[in-house]
Amino acid sequence: MLILALSNLTHRKVRTCLSILAVAISITLLLVLVGLSHGTLNEISQRMQSVEAEIIVRDRHFDLGSMSGGKLWEKEIEQILQLKIGTNPTVERVIPVFLGRMKLGGLSQNVFGVHPEDFSYFAGNRRILEGYLFTDIESPAQALARLESPNNPQTINYLPLLIDKRLSNAARLNVGDTTTFGDTMAQITGIVETGVAGRVFAPINMLRAANGISAKTAHLFFVKAGNNLNTDQLQQLCDEIETKTRRSANLVANYGQVLEQNFQNLTIFVGLVSVIALVICFLFILVTMHTIVLERSKEIAIIQSLGAARSMIMIQTIQEALIICILGCIIGIVMSFGAKWLIETYQPLMTVEMRLHWLLLAVLIGVVGGVLSALVPGYMALRRDPVEVLSFE
Amino acid sequence: MEDVLLKTEKLCKTFRQGRLETPVLFDIDMKIKRGEFVAIMGSSGCGKSTLMHILGLMLKSSSGRVIIDGLDTSALDDNRRARLRRDKIGFVFQRFNLLPTLNAYQNIAVAERIRGHCIDGQIWRALEAVQMTDKKQYKPGQLSIGQQQRIAIARAISHQPEIIMADEPTGNLDSSNSERILNLFSQIHRQQGITIVMITHSLTAAQWADRIIQIKDGRIVDH
Repeated sequence: MLILALSNLTHRKVRTCLSILAVAISITLLLVLVGLSHGTLNEISQRMQSVEAEIIVRDRHFDLGSMSGGKLWEKEIEQILQLKIGTNPTVERVIPVFLGRMKLGGLSQNVFGVHPEDFSYFAGNRRILEGYLFTDIESPAQALARLESPNNPQTINYLPLLIDKRLSNAARLNVGDTTTFGDTMAQITGIVETGVAGRVFAPINMLRAANGISAKTAHLFFVKAGNNLNTDQLQQLCDEIETKTRRSANLVANYGQVLEQNFQNLTIFVGLVSVIALVICFLFILVTMHTIVLERSKEIAIIQSLGAARSMIMIQTIQEALIICILGCIIGIVMSFGAKWLIETYQPLMTVEMRLHWLLLAVLIGVVGGVLSALVPGYMALRRDPVEVLSFE
Repeated sequence: MEDVLLKTEKLCKTFRQGRLETPVLFDIDMKIKRGEFVAIMGSSGCGKSTLMHILGLMLKSSSGRVIIDGLDTSALDDNRRARLRRDKIGFVFQRFNLLPTLNAYQNIAVAERIRGHCIDGQIWRALEAVQMTDKKQYKPGQLSIGQQQRIAIARAISHQPEIIMADEPTGNLDSSNSERILNLFSQIHRQQGITIVMITHSLTAAQWADRIIQIKDGRIVDH
């Protein structure tokens, strides 16, 4: 009986196309929203995990979502360096990061203020492709003094910035280009390979000074532990750090989970929007199927007069909805890849992730939703009296 | 012994809508023998179409029994009635009731599929019987009304039913097409031995039948 379903769909081409499009748009919306939120978080998480350190320390009030909140003090580094698990030397290095924010490439970017000698922990084996690594001034107080004294012969003319290749491409920024950080002039002095924790790096003391801070504060500490520590010992070290410093310490490997917890509201929002999109889509299918059933009451009555069982009529209604939904899902997936390409081309700093199990889930949702949307109209089709329909329609 | 194919006993039908009751058929007792061509005749609104729908198992009677080939259909559920209708009965309607989205061949094929099989040879034979093999790719909208009715007849006979129920089959046709269709019924009846029950208000059409059952105000007045 597939022939009947197919002939009905091809008979009303515009309506069929619109229904397929409705499903496709919903599936696209679902996949792009989920892909964009997860893709962005995962990309950030992967970049943070590229730091050659095992533990990330932050103030309990520091929000990873907005990258703002309570600060740490560099003097706490000494406390952490002295921690031991058993008798082994435990902490190799503590890397402070001061965060600033500036607009680059049309988007607000976090600027990672780091000591030049710590940059290798962020770069790993990634090379500086163009320009050079910045140098810094000994202390933030000195940097601030030199920033605030334009008559000082040692005045800082600009805040040097090292950006990653992806941002360089997206914002079309090259070495030597200038911009501003608040009131301070900034200049791109180097471009590093993509994949480093931050998209923008600056010397920590100069960044502090550019923010008007003369104290040695930081927002994050990356803790490089000894090579011989296993995961349990690292977790133990996290606990120790939390006890001694009253700060929050997490394994860098768990950064993705921590980030997701911080973005829980975003995840809920994305989920809600997706569900609403799907509900609207299936209501559309329900209305379409309802219209189809009403319009085809006579045909259904004819089929009944030919001896079609109730199940056959229900199956035919479901078949029609399924064809619409399956085609909608396929087109929706194609459109999602198109949207991914568009987003990543025109907003190169955004990442849309497409995972196979999301695609399968989208198809499953489409198919199940399609069947459920067809059940009510199918049931209504069965309830109509064929004699009445054949006599009066 | 008489070979009765279709029998009714004290058949009554009352339509109910809320508190409103409209009795349509009263104590219909009739027998139709296997291979008989019977015309049920009566004026408009006398209940003849309702009777045909009950005989064709499309409608349930309010009381009384319909026995088809020895089987009392009164107690059957909807699915078994549909199966019996599918296997033993072929319908021809006044307004043809072809599926507009399918071509002539597909209209017959759908009926065959509902019956659980679709044999090309059977469809072809049915088209040959109504002399419509050359129009098998045409959709109903591309056929004349006479041709549409011939396709409807082909659909009704393709599975060699025991009975053809024809509800005013010439009601929408002009006289020459009517004669052609009635001739076709007569031919099918003679050649294939199929029992035909034809509802009509036209005496000219009824005269093609072996026997005429007259209905007036929901009662059989002559048979």
